[in-house]
Amino acid sequence: MLAELIGRLGEVLEPEAVITDPVRLRTYECDGLTYHRATPGVAVLPENAEQVAGVIRLCNEYGVPFVARGSGTGLSGGALPRTDGVLIVTSKMRAIVEIDLPNRRAVVEPGVTNLAITEAVRDQGYYYAPDPSSQQVCSIGGNVAENSGGAHCLKYGFTVNHVEACEIVTPDGDIVTLDRADPGYDLLGAFIGSEGTLGVTTKVTVRLSRTPEAVTTVLAAFENIEQGGEAVSAIIAAGILPAAIEMMDALAIAAAEAAVACRYPENAGAVLIVELDGPSAEVERQFALLSQICSKAFELRVAEDPAERAAIWRGRKSAFAAVGRISPAYIVQDGVVPRTSLPEVLAGIDSLSREHGIKVANVFHAGDGNLHPLVLFDDTEPGAGERAEIVSGRILDLCIEHGGSITGEHGVGVDKARYMPRMFTDADLDTMQLVRCAFDPRGLSNPGKIFPTPRLCGEVPGVRKGVHPLVESGKAEQF
Amino acid sequence: MDPELIKDCVHCGFCLPSCPTYVLWGEEMDSPRGRIHLMSQHVEGTPITPEMAGHFDACLGCMACVTACPSGVQYDRLIEQTRAEVEREHVREPRERAVRGLVFGLFPYPRRLRALRPTLGLARRLQPLLERAHPSLGAMIALAPVPGRRQRLPGRVRAVGERRAVVGMLTGCVQNEFFPQVNAATARVLAMEGCEVVIPPHQGCCGALSVHSGRDDQARRFAKRTIRTFERAGVDTVVVNAAGCGSSMKEYAELLADSPEWAGRARALRTVDLAEWLAELGPVAERHPLPVTVAYHDACHLAHAQGIRAQPRELLRGVPGLSLRDIPESDLCCGSAGTYNIFEPSAARDLGDRKAERVRSTGAQLLVSANPGCTMQIAAAMRRAGGEIRVAHTAEILDASLRGVSPSFLDAAGGKPRS
Amino acid sequence: MPSGVTVRQAGPEDEVAGVRPRWVALPETTEEVAAIMTAAAEHDLAVVPVGGGSKLHWGSPPERCDVLLDTCCLNQVLEHAEGDLVVRAQAGVTMEALARTLAARGQELALDVPVEGATVGGTLATALPGPRSFRYGGARDLLIGITVVLADGTVAHSGGKVVKNVAGYDLGKLFTGSYGTLGVIAEATFRLHPLASERRWIQAHLPVRHADESTTPGTGPGPVQGYASPSARGGPPQRKATLATVLATSQAEPTAVEVNRGGDDAACELAVLVEGSAAESRAEAVAALMPGATVGAEPPSWWGALPDGDVLMELRFPPSRGEVVLEAVHGLGATVRGSLASGVLWLALSPSESSPERSSESSGRSSESSEKLGSEKLGSEELGREELGREELGSEGLGSQGLAGLVAGLRARLAEVGGRVSVLASPYAEGLDRWGEISALPLMRRVKERFDPGRRMSPGRYVGGI
Repeated sequence: MLAELIGRLGEVLEPEAVITDPVRLRTYECDGLTYHRATPGVAVLPENAEQVAGVIRLCNEYGVPFVARGSGTGLSGGALPRTDGVLIVTSKMRAIVEIDLPNRRAVVEPGVTNLAITEAVRDQGYYYAPDPSSQQVCSIGGNVAENSGGAHCLKYGFTVNHVEACEIVTPDGDIVTLDRADPGYDLLGAFIGSEGTLGVTTKVTVRLSRTPEAVTTVLAAFENIEQGGEAVSAIIAAGILPAAIEMMDALAIAAAEAAVACRYPENAGAVLIVELDGPSAEVERQFALLSQICSKAFELRVAEDPAERAAIWRGRKSAFAAVGRISPAYIVQDGVVPRTSLPEVLAGIDSLSREHGIKVANVFHAGDGNLHPLVLFDDTEPGAGERAEIVSGRILDLCIEHGGSITGEHGVGVDKARYMPRMFTDADLDTMQLVRCAFDPRGLSNPGKIFPTPRLCGEVPGVRKGVHPLVESGKAEQF
Repeated sequence: MDPELIKDCVHCGFCLPSCPTYVLWGEEMDSPRGRIHLMSQHVEGTPITPEMAGHFDACLGCMACVTACPSGVQYDRLIEQTRAEVEREHVREPRERAVRGLVFGLFPYPRRLRALRPTLGLARRLQPLLERAHPSLGAMIALAPVPGRRQRLPGRVRAVGERRAVVGMLTGCVQNEFFPQVNAATARVLAMEGCEVVIPPHQGCCGALSVHSGRDDQARRFAKRTIRTFERAGVDTVVVNAAGCGSSMKEYAELLADSPEWAGRARALRTVDLAEWLAELGPVAERHPLPVTVAYHDACHLAHAQGIRAQPRELLRGVPGLSLRDIPESDLCCGSAGTYNIFEPSAARDLGDRKAERVRSTGAQLLVSANPGCTMQIAAAMRRAGGEIRVAHTAEILDASLRGVSPSFLDAAGGKPRS
Repeated sequence: MPSGVTVRQAGPEDEVAGVRPRWVALPETTEEVAAIMTAAAEHDLAVVPVGGGSKLHWGSPPERCDVLLDTCCLNQVLEHAEGDLVVRAQAGVTMEALARTLAARGQELALDVPVEGATVGGTLATALPGPRSFRYGGARDLLIGITVVLADGTVAHSGGKVVKNVAGYDLGKLFTGSYGTLGVIAEATFRLHPLASERRWIQAHLPVRHADESTTPGTGPGPVQGYASPSARGGPPQRKATLATVLATSQAEPTAVEVNRGGDDAACELAVLVEGSAAESRAEAVAALMPGATVGAEPPSWWGALPDGDVLMELRFPPSRGEVVLEAVHGLGATVRGSLASGVLWLALSPSESSPERSSESSGRSSESSEKLGSEKLGSEELGREELGREELGSEGLGSQGLAGLVAGLRARLAEVGGRVSVLASPYAEGLDRWGEISALPLMRRVKERFDPGRRMSPGRYVGGI
């Protein structure tokens, strides 16, 4: 099937846009999560929506699955290819089609990087608000698939709150526009964050935001993480909504120090980075309030210009990669708990860490309870990897127990599909599956992601079965 | 290829937007992350296929990815090891071999280059023909500048005023043959800032071109000779005005790591870039006004390989009347990258055109950079687009300002002559 | 009907857009909702969920309606996690009651409710954007978790009670604005905001040129003079900013920019809300952008309410074209209200109140006479050209044909500026295309088919008869 399809890709694409050489194909075997790997059957690099649609129509004709990939920076294996499928890489579709400042919007192709949008309008006093840590490289198409957030989503929300419309190619190969302004079901809202399982984005209309008049970034150093946590609660209780509240524990600070010499206050058990932005008068008042709230901090640094701000953020932004310098291997976890449960959950992580002899560095978006525990281990030590896996998984259980989520921003992908039943009932998952079946009845669009062993679209909801007889007999494929 | 170095890469992709070939083509295999993946495939036993070699060859070695990498992957070392491996293992097509042989038999040898000078006029006339016959040769000719008048530098230049330091000076191959005025300016600036400048004759190539192309043995030979030359000259600091040479010399100890003796000798010799040195020294000589708008271009081997960005800008801003403009996308390579514009003419051309457009957008009268290769490349791209920009080395600007003369590079640029 | 659930016979007051159900069910828990839906599925009964009933006459009449599922008894605020700024409530809680509960703790759900008596469920199902949606987003942007009951009685959840959460599909978005056609919303969880410490309204008259002042035929009014766009410096030439754009992008960060015009002859009132700390000084900064503006602590009387009228339309357009749209609807005798910053205007028409001279005109005029009317009455070549079926308005009661024509004309006019027209409520249905063309309609039909294969959830009420 795949071989026949490959033979016909020339009808849709230039020869250079089709990659079949095995050595070259293998470079696409994984995204930012290298734990899962699969060499795609074929990779294509289309340059426009018509080509994407053409490829997907061929996939339909031959019943071949396809996976879309942007910059390949995802951390849940959402762009893990299929060995029996087509990998549609959007990295050549990177034109900024239109910038419409009077209407505060820009139309971009999916391969445009998140930061490129901001760079295109910064001089005019605008920016694109969602700012995932990988913003310099991650693509807008990927952001739409993952509903990406970022440090500043506490105040400004996620991709779904900043996208006005998407042109998509449906899993049938039709080019359809999902527009927020259109009446009818909010398919745009459902599509964003669907991790490529409902189709491929070919054009995105994003909303641009006005650059705030004032930005004040504060670094508060505390003796321990509890004091930091108290400060976070007090900030929220005082009615302040900062743009970002980030926290790092001692281990994470040490890693950042080793990597980028961020010069955070010595002996800090925790640092809190709080960024206030908005109209100057408002920021001033909030800052006065914040200073009082952080009275327990033994050091309070205030950045008022971009260089000082960058210096404060440098440590935080480098934290993930920096951990590589203090540990041979590590797992980046992503879970969410209600903000008020943070102290309890952090204590829980601490005891898990002791129990299994596995160190955990904590970096998190404290404002919205989004934890990024970095589970550190030595991959040359026998059994360490397994213990780290256990700790990592147990952290997610802790999140679920406290009414949280198994992912705040990295997505479910292939990595966390098995945790979905812990967070959702069968009925919940079956209902989500209805959406999938409406968009993609044949299950060709990024199969195997988000949902654990879902049933076929024709099946009547009921008790979950083993392998479907149709699948077993080869008449149908599971997705 | 060191598997441990490969392991440092966590596949985050932060290098992608910094990579010129990824910017051009958007393909994983032509990104640093993709190339490291290819390296790991090779380490795991995949032989070097022509496709694989092609992706390694396409790397400009600009090291922008090294700057961008949050995990501290030493891509510079990885790609150098890889190039050496490719040279050892991979059999190139005869035509490709011929060009490479020509370049490596020519550029690192000042005398051979000098012999070529009189033929350039003819070659330039034949360029369209050559372009069709062989793009690489065509590219070589298109890039070649009209060489400046040869200037013989003395072996030693005395410091003006109080002597603050004694330094050696590298004259380089391409710099010396095609841009002799830059070397002269460098020596004068150093002297005027209180340095006694030692310029050993017959220096030869520092080995940069060889090391960047995987010709390790040749590189080591050149490195040892250069070290020996400056040891004999009795200096412990060598000032370099060509970014590519400076970055290679700073890595002599790694290149010669197999021999502890030579590595030690390499470490004993301090290599500094001219701008780095002058900024460190601090200005003493009087700066005269130079009313000109300047676009400063970051040479990759200065900005990415040596981390020198602020110093040249600081020096230029120190010139009264000079208005400095930043070039958008300044982190992206111009496509020159040593011999890249000769071996990969099409990609180099695209990058050159892109850079020329950005340079044009600054509206500057003068383009300043610290690498002869960049200057040739960007000037050629500007000419292709039907424009013209005067070019100068940072040293020439300082020289003109320190001496209070109207520099020749401003005359044709329409810059106002100084009164 | 399942035992234990309160059910009564339906009366005339229970009609859904003119269709009378047989029974009204009054569940008190999600389980009871599920029991009702299961029973309805067994007996193939069509169900229409209703909250406060404030918008029950909206949309098309249902194809059939056996059970009105009244959520009034699902009226518990289940959880207010103050420290987490999150609230979970049953669908039947009225927005007023919810606001009272939250205000007692200094918090609010930053969702304006343009209709009195609306419930959480109804507010979600119709998803009307209020003034402050400009800053806070709409219902879908503040909803973080939902519990729904499907047509077959399945109870499903999505999202949760944390704001940041990307696990699984967001069913909440799908159900928000679904007009009860996919299932019953039983519970919802929202993210909250601290109650603003101060609020200031800045009011002025919008200096918009009316059609009859238009000097250049065939073009919209020019940009408001004297307002420099923040985008003016550098970059490629941009369309010049209108006052609304300038206000929307002001760094004083207003929460809402609203406009109101009580009729063709009434002045165009502009009101801008600034809230939060330092509201007063920020309000002054906003006022400086608006000629003749006054600053006060009270909203104008029309703030945040839907305009009154038998026919209610929603106009959406790129915000920079607000003044073109205001001009395009001038002369319809409509009350126009909405957000210039977000590009949403509501248009209310009450045919019986239209001006006497026009009511003397007969309906069904030829296009020639329409042209004449246009140029005579309006003195505007542009609007005369467009016509908008304006002549139908004055007829003896606005007929279906008349409204259909008017909507078609208005739709064509708005399409020119990238806008669209929806008819939210209308007593006249014949020949009326309430929603206009929708690119994703085939996909929407497929979603409907999956969620409600038996077409028993508010069948026919919404776009494309889904």
